[in-house]
Amino acid sequence: MEEKLIEFIRDEFLEDAEQEIDVDTKLISSGYIDSFSLVSLQSYIEEEFGKKIPAPRITAQSFDTIRQMVEIIKQF
Amino acid sequence: MAYSDKQRNNYQEILSGIVDSGLNKEEQQIISSQGSMIKVRKGSGKSIDSLINMCSNNYLGLASHPQITQAAHHALDSRGYGLASVRFICGTQDIHRQLEERLSSFLGTEDCILFSSCFDANAAVFETLLDESDIMISDRLVHASIIDGMRLSKAGHDTYKHKDMKHLRKKLELHGHCPRKVIITDGVFSMDGDIAPLEELASLAEEYDAMLFVDDSHATGFMGASGRGTHELCGVLGKVDLLTTTFGKALGGASGGCVAGRSELVELLRQRGRPYLFSNSLAPMMTMGTLAALDLVEQDQSLRQRLLQNMQWWRDSLVDAGFIVVPGNSPIVPIMLYQAKLAQAFAHRLYEEGILAVAFSFPVVPQNQARIRTQVSAAHDLEMLQEALAAFVRIGKELDALGKTKAELLAQKY
Repeated sequence: MEEKLIEFIRDEFLEDAEQEIDVDTKLISSGYIDSFSLVSLQSYIEEEFGKKIPAPRITAQSFDTIRQMVEIIKQF
Repeated sequence: MAYSDKQRNNYQEILSGIVDSGLNKEEQQIISSQGSMIKVRKGSGKSIDSLINMCSNNYLGLASHPQITQAAHHALDSRGYGLASVRFICGTQDIHRQLEERLSSFLGTEDCILFSSCFDANAAVFETLLDESDIMISDRLVHASIIDGMRLSKAGHDTYKHKDMKHLRKKLELHGHCPRKVIITDGVFSMDGDIAPLEELASLAEEYDAMLFVDDSHATGFMGASGRGTHELCGVLGKVDLLTTTFGKALGGASGGCVAGRSELVELLRQRGRPYLFSNSLAPMMTMGTLAALDLVEQDQSLRQRLLQNMQWWRDSLVDAGFIVVPGNSPIVPIMLYQAKLAQAFAHRLYEEGILAVAFSFPVVPQNQARIRTQVSAAHDLEMLQEALAAFVRIGKELDALGKTKAELLAQKY
């Protein structure tokens, strides 16, 4: 799951295609993903993993790194 | 009491947060008119600083041009101070329609409609012209006013990576089923001064049956062979369906904006655009001032020539001196310093040396992409630019920021 998320985020959001990100890179708080993009991420998670994450769970505090995202996704 | 102490404290905390994070904006009071040299009263009120202005949108130097002020005086005498009405009730003068027709002809479109600002123009477009089954696909770095305008619309929204045509194509495919698609971009982007690939954008718009929207605020009046804008520069005059721009930059710098484009779209904005229906008509001074600005753009080639010369000189000199400058072809010249603290210290020192320029850091620009954004004007003369350059070089040496690579600047401790 982590691999797929890394790939999606790199393709979809990162301006610099060579940029390295890992499961602990802060994505929202460092500005790689903005509020418009969160909607896109939410849709991807629903389509790819079949999990609908409610918007209140997707915040800069709880959904910032891929590690955090996977933890939350597994709860649904 | 509606505004209790608790409320007050709560807001004060928010304000303190802004100061603590170094994002506090303070306004200095300029006591001269706008120009390449401005006078600022120092905090204590005791002395006056004269500064070289390297951060205004006054690209053609028209903000205090005698021909413009003369036109404004004439407007006051012949058409009064204000209309005190929205356009459709009793707020339309002959000069409004004159300006709309003149702009439409200048920009190469079918019709044009005036707004109090380009911010308002951008607020009107998407909400009025699109519905929930449509899709807005915008470049990631479009102006804040466009982002707000898109928020008002019921249409779906997606984005493409900055100027990435492959990514845009992917999005156009993804949303192919939508009855109306709009590709949305700035002509010249305000933070980097880079230019949108309008030729490719127009081609994709054609291929995918999408409309093309361009906000050309940082280009109208001086980009392209006759100053019509980015679309002229990129050879796509007549292919932009919706073009918004401001009168608050090169065209005099007062206020006002417009949407120019396909006649049905413009007419629908006139009938249903909320910022048009519910906001005061553009004052006669602004209307005739903008007409005078267009006269100057069309008749006085020296303005644009001087701007182009200044742009080239400023950009080349900074690069030769050892600064990292975002490459481009516009009067927006960002000097990359990457670290916010360095950029802020640099700007502060520049002010002390008599140069006004602004540091931009997160969240205005991405993390570790802090810069000093300078803007060149036709009103600058070579002497001013040389003085400004000398200050930049002096401070660059002082702060050990000259002749470094991006990695070196990021690694240094400030």
